[in-house]
Amino acid sequence: SQGITESFGAAIHALNATHLTDGVIHRSKRMMLDTLGVGLLGSRTAVFNKALMYSQRSSVWGRSEITLPPHYAAFVNGIAVHSMDFDDTWHPATHPSGAVLPALLALAETLASRPSGLDLLLAFNVGLEVQGRLMRFSREAYNIPERFHPPSVVGVMGSAAASAKLLGLSPAQCSHALAIAVSSAGAPLANAATQTKPLHIGNAARRGLEAAQLAQIGLEGNPAILDVANGLGVYYGDYNPSPMADSGAFRWILEDQNVAVKRIPAHLAMHWVVDAALAARAKLRDTVGTFDLSQIRQVTLRVPPSKYINCPLPASEHQARHSFQFNACSALLDGQVTVASFDRAQINRPALRELLSKVEVETPEDNPPSFDKMYCEVEIGSAEGRSAAARCDTFYGHWRKPLSQRDLVEKFSVNASSVLCPEGVEGLIDVVG
Amino acid sequence: MLSVLQKTTRPVQAARGLHKSALDVLKQPAPEDTVTASFGKFISEIKPQYLSPVALYRSKRMVLDSVGVGLIGSTTDVFELALQHCQHMHAPDPISSVYGRRGIRLSPTLAAFVNGVATHSMDFDDTWHPATHPSGAVLPAVLALSDMMPANSKPSGLDFLLAFNVGIEIQGRLMRFSNEAHNIPKRFHPPTVVGPMGSAAACARLLSLDPSQCSHALAIAASLAGAPMANAATQCKPLHIGNASRLGLEAALLASRGLEASPLVLDAVAGVAGFNAFYEDYVPQPLKSPSDNDNGHVFLLEEQDMGFKRFPAHLGMHWVADAAASVHKVLVGVDPGKVSPDQVQDILLRVPLSKYINRPFPESEHEARHSFQFNACSALLDGEVAVQSFSPAAMSRPELHALLSRVRLEHPQDNPANFNRMYGEVQVTLVGGDILKGRCDTFYGHWRNPLTNESLRKKFRNNAGVVLPSEKVERLIEAVEELDRLDDCGALLSQLE
Repeated sequence: SQGITESFGAAIHALNATHLTDGVIHRSKRMMLDTLGVGLLGSRTAVFNKALMYSQRSSVWGRSEITLPPHYAAFVNGIAVHSMDFDDTWHPATHPSGAVLPALLALAETLASRPSGLDLLLAFNVGLEVQGRLMRFSREAYNIPERFHPPSVVGVMGSAAASAKLLGLSPAQCSHALAIAVSSAGAPLANAATQTKPLHIGNAARRGLEAAQLAQIGLEGNPAILDVANGLGVYYGDYNPSPMADSGAFRWILEDQNVAVKRIPAHLAMHWVVDAALAARAKLRDTVGTFDLSQIRQVTLRVPPSKYINCPLPASEHQARHSFQFNACSALLDGQVTVASFDRAQINRPALRELLSKVEVETPEDNPPSFDKMYCEVEIGSAEGRSAAARCDTFYGHWRKPLSQRDLVEKFSVNASSVLCPEGVEGLIDVVG
Repeated sequence: MLSVLQKTTRPVQAARGLHKSALDVLKQPAPEDTVTASFGKFISEIKPQYLSPVALYRSKRMVLDSVGVGLIGSTTDVFELALQHCQHMHAPDPISSVYGRRGIRLSPTLAAFVNGVATHSMDFDDTWHPATHPSGAVLPAVLALSDMMPANSKPSGLDFLLAFNVGIEIQGRLMRFSNEAHNIPKRFHPPTVVGPMGSAAACARLLSLDPSQCSHALAIAASLAGAPMANAATQCKPLHIGNASRLGLEAALLASRGLEASPLVLDAVAGVAGFNAFYEDYVPQPLKSPSDNDNGHVFLLEEQDMGFKRFPAHLGMHWVADAAASVHKVLVGVDPGKVSPDQVQDILLRVPLSKYINRPFPESEHEARHSFQFNACSALLDGEVAVQSFSPAAMSRPELHALLSRVRLEHPQDNPANFNRMYGEVQVTLVGGDILKGRCDTFYGHWRNPLTNESLRKKFRNNAGVVLPSEKVERLIEAVEELDRLDDCGALLSQLE
C-alpha cells in the first residue's frame, strides 16, 4: 500500500483543472484578491523596506522599477503580505495564501511559457489544500499556537506543493519537494508580535519555492517524510498522518472550510474584541446619551488564554497588533480600528495609554483558544456605577460570516490604491475576478 | 512603565479567574537581565585577547579540517546540484568564493550555502559533545562575509579566528541548556538548531554589531532554525549545514540593517515558545560578558575538545570500524591475504540504540554513511573504512553483501546513545566455531584520543589535494597555522581558490 508521503506526491501530480469546483474557484479568487491588496499595502512598511534592501529579478509588488531573483521576490512579497497582519486566516490556524501566492507569481514570471490563469489557480489551490491536510494530522493544530508559528510549519509545505504543481513535477519529485521543504520548516512563536514575524511568511514562500526547484534538478530527501515520526511530526506534540486520496474521490478542504478575511490589520483574535468593544460602546452611549471617556472607570475583557496576544502596554506596532487591550481601547476611543490606528502617534496617545491602564483581562474557562470556538466580551464600568457589556461570537469577516463580495473588493481597492493608480487597481480586480 | 504596571497589579491579583499567564506577562524581567541580552552583550564585547592558547590551537585545527573536507566535498553530486541551483536561480553576484571552483563566485549567502553543503556532503566534518557539527555551520559564513569586505579592510586573521570561536562557543552554550542535547538526536538535527545561531553569532561578531543587534541576530536566526532527523541519511542532509551557515549570515545581515525580533528568544517564556521550541527540556543560563567578568572568559572548546573523523561517515561508525579493524587484523594474521566471507558464519554488533544509523542493507552512499552494519563489514573486509569505501563499486561488492547478510545487532543496556559514553563491539563467529571479538571504547580521532597534528594534516592533504595543486595545499596549511598572526585574513582567502 502507498505510503503517506507517496500519496501526497501522487495527488499533487494528478490533480488538474477539471477538479476545481465553482465553490473553490470563487473562494480562492477572493483570497487572491485580498492577498494582493494587503501585499501592495504592505510594500510601504518598514519591515518590507529592510527586507528589500537586503535582497537586492521577478517583480516586486508595488515597485515597477525593481525586479529580483525569484526567491527574493517571493521573500519580499511574502513579507509585504504579512507585514501588517492583514492577511487571511484559516481553521485550523494558519495564514495560507501569503505563503503560496508570492511564490507562484515569482515562479510564473520565470517560466518559458506563461501559465494560464487556470493553471495558476490550480497550483494555488494545491498549495492551500496541502496546508489544510497537514494541519489535520494534529489535534494541537486546531488551537491558537504556543510553540511553532503555523505558517512556518505548513506554509513552506504549501509553497513547495504549489510550486511543484506549477513546475509540472513528477509524483516522486513532488514528494521530494515536500521532504526538502520540511527541513526548512518551523519558526518559534516568540518572534510573533515582533518585526520579524512577517519574515515567517516571506521565508515560507521563498523556501517552499526553493524546495520545489531543488527537487526539479534531482535533490532527494526522505521519501517517507510525512509518514515517520521524526519528519514533519517533530513540529507537533501529537501527530497522526493519513494519505491523500488521489484525484478519484477528491474534495477540496476549501469547499467545506472557508477562510476568514480581516477587516483590521491585526491578529485574528483582535477582531472579536473590537466588535465587542464597539457594541459595548454603543450600548453605553445609548444608555447615557453620549459616550464620555472620562467616565470610564474600568474595562474588563473576557478572552481566551493566549500569552502572545495579551499585551497590556504595547510599545511597537507589532505588539499593538497582538494586544487584546490595545485593540479594545482603540475601538472605545475612536469608534473604529483601522490601518491608521497602528501608527506610532496613535499608539502613543496619552488618552489611549490612560484607558489602557484601566483594563483588566479575564480568561473564562468556557473560552477556548480556538478561532472556531472563542468569543470576546467587553464590559465597561463607568464612574456612576453603570456598566455596559457586549459579546462577540462571530465577527464580520469570519468564515461563519464572510465578507460580502462588495466589501472584499472595497478592502482591496483601499489597500491597492496606496501604491497603484486607479487603472491598476481596477485592472487587477478585473483580472482576478 | 514599571510603576504603572505595579498600580494595576494589585487590583488585578484580587480578581478571580485571572489566568496565570496574564500575571506572568506583568512580571517580565527587565530587558538588560534577560538571557537573550546577555548573549548579545557577550558577542558584541568579546575581544581576541580572551582567546587562550588552547582555544587558538584547537580552533585552528578545526579550521584546517573544515576547509579540507569542504574542498573534497566540492567533488560530490550534491554539491554540484546545489551550485547549479544557486547559479541558475540567482543573478550573478561575484563576491564570495566557492570551494574548489576557481573563477566561480556567488553572493555571500549563497557561497556560504554551497560551501556548507560541501563541508557536510560526505559526513566528514567535525563533531562535538554535546552533539553537533559546529565548524561547517560557521566557517563558510565567516569566509563568505570576509570576502564581502573591501580589499583594504579585511579582518585580521585574529579577528577572523575570534569570530569563528564565537560561533562555536554560542553553539556549545546553547546545547548545554538541554539534557536532551547530550544524547544522539531523535527529533531535530542539531546542526539545524544551534548551527544557524552559531553562524549568526560569528557573523554578528565579524560585523562588529552592537549588543542589541547581536541579540536580534540570534532571534532572527531562531526563526530559521530546525530541521527534522528524517532527512539525515538522505541527499538532503548536507543542506542542513549549508542552510545553517547561510541563514545565520542572513540573520546577522538583516540585524545589521535594523531588523528586530524577540528580545526574549533564548529566555523560557511560558506559553510562547522561543528557542526552547526545539527542546523538550530547556533551562537557559545567562552568558557572562568578559567585560563584566574579572577572570576573562573560558571558551568551552578549552574544556571540551573536538572529534575529527578519519573517514567520511556518521561519528557512531568510527567505533564499530575500529573494533572491526582489530578483528580483521587477527583474521589476516591467521590466514594471510584477503578476508573471505566464506570464513565468517555470524557477525554480532553491540551498539547503542539509534534508529537512523541502523541500516542492514544501505542503498545509497548517504545511507551507507549511516549504517553500523555497512561500516563494520567494510572494515572487516578491508581493515579500514576510507573515502573510497563509499564509491558505487565498493558498495556493490558481492563479498560485502555476503557479510552484510550475516550481521545481527544487539543494544546492551550499558551502551547509551551518547558520543561521550558509547562503545562498539564486533563479535565474529567463524565457520569452525572460533569466536573473535573486537571492542572500541574510544576511536582514534575522538576528543579523548585526538588526532595528532600529523594525522590531521595528512587528512587535509588527502582531501584538499583532490582539487588543489600541492603548492596551494601547503600554503593553506601554513596560512591556517599562522592565522592568529596574519594582519589580513585575505592571505587565507586567496589560497582557497
